[in-house]
Amino acid sequence: MRVRRLPLILFGLLAAGLAVSGCAAPGASSAPGEAQGASAADDFNDPFEEANRGIFGFNHAVDASVFVPVAKTYRTVIPPPVRQSVHDFLQNLNGPVIFANDMLQGEIKLAGDTLARLLLNTTVGIGGVFDVGTMVGVPYHSNDLGITFAVWGFAAGPYIVVPVLGPSNPRDLAGRVGDGFGDPGNYFASAHNLLWAVIARTATSGIDERSRNIESLADIERTALDNYATIRSLYRQRREAQIRHEKSNLPNPSPVQGGDGAADPSLSYSIAK
Amino acid sequence: MIRRCAAVGAFLVMALVLATPREASAQDASSFIATLGQQAIQVLGPGIPEVQRQARFRVLFHDDFDLPGIGQFVLGRYWRIATPQEQQDFLGLFQEYLVRAYSARLGQYGGEPFRVTGMRPNGAETIVTSEIVRRNGTPIEVDWYLIGHSPFKITDVYVAGVSMKVTQRDEFASVIQRNGGRVQALIAQLRQKLAAG
Repeated sequence: MRVRRLPLILFGLLAAGLAVSGCAAPGASSAPGEAQGASAADDFNDPFEEANRGIFGFNHAVDASVFVPVAKTYRTVIPPPVRQSVHDFLQNLNGPVIFANDMLQGEIKLAGDTLARLLLNTTVGIGGVFDVGTMVGVPYHSNDLGITFAVWGFAAGPYIVVPVLGPSNPRDLAGRVGDGFGDPGNYFASAHNLLWAVIARTATSGIDERSRNIESLADIERTALDNYATIRSLYRQRREAQIRHEKSNLPNPSPVQGGDGAADPSLSYSIAK
Repeated sequence: MIRRCAAVGAFLVMALVLATPREASAQDASSFIATLGQQAIQVLGPGIPEVQRQARFRVLFHDDFDLPGIGQFVLGRYWRIATPQEQQDFLGLFQEYLVRAYSARLGQYGGEPFRVTGMRPNGAETIVTSEIVRRNGTPIEVDWYLIGHSPFKITDVYVAGVSMKVTQRDEFASVIQRNGGRVQALIAQLRQKLAAG
């Protein structure tokens, strides 16, 4: 049955890749403050830039001709509450992988949150279609193996643009592969020959995510002088921010309006998706 | 999927600038941002014509942002090799570019609840943290970097951990680099972009 498993695993990887949000980074060592140094201005850590730009262009064509139309149709046809439930369901499916990474990073509090959400949403939330966790004050946060590797001290490696998947780097790509292997959903599907389920999850995750970013990406593309360079910068910074928050639970800023848990560091990367 | 840098959404502005010692009381800085935030959200609100939105945004940038400092930071090491004329040209174009780019990019947050969540000193600067509560989704964290005190000037805005001025600097540096290190090339492209509307 080895042979049968392989495509499942590959699709699982893809699923994990899509699920893992859109931004990762080079320069593991670059501290936030360093980014301000003038000398760092031209260091994009992008030795394969010409090839990357080629793939970026290809991705853009696929995006414009396939993904965006599909995402728009999805948004037109499916009512908002249903889309929200689809989103919540997919997020809940990622729970085990997020939990594992929380643990691998020694983030016990986050791991507890993830576990609580997983249990709540899967039961009270009827298999995850309702995000009960957020309702009761345990918001979602993303996490992945790319971040774990960074926390463990691995360097990002050069910026690369992966066909279809988009911005990445060796560390984050390896993280995607690892997350795919570690996903119980993929094991389950593999054990029961449910290749279609893995494909469906992959496709739906992609559509869900793309449908949430139609305007923001279009606005950037329209206003940027160099869309490629802008996306590259956003990816690096976003990823560094995620890693930074994981590394050092930032001290809470002095609450101005009575706190209300607003300074919870987990908020800051909960929007990674 | 492609290039879906989620949360990529918004981007405002930025700047270097070594601030004057800050005596600002915490409450002042946060109420400044609270007011500004409300204004911005209104300016960006749905149903406001693009031209009008840009006009209001222009005022907001001019009054509340440290544009010269931001412009200088954004040009990075090329600031020093630029001629005074180029610096002048760049600053003028950059300001208008910001208005166009960010009124569009931030437009999607218009009308959504905004609240200040906290504040902390950061060297000579003050960081005011806030969040935009999205209709369906997790809040977006927006951190404002301020210098001075009455008037405050905004030197950078971080959206979801992403610095606006670093993003802008990276983009402009790439444009200059790919055009033989000529600042003039960036100026030409800015001009062209603005002319194209």
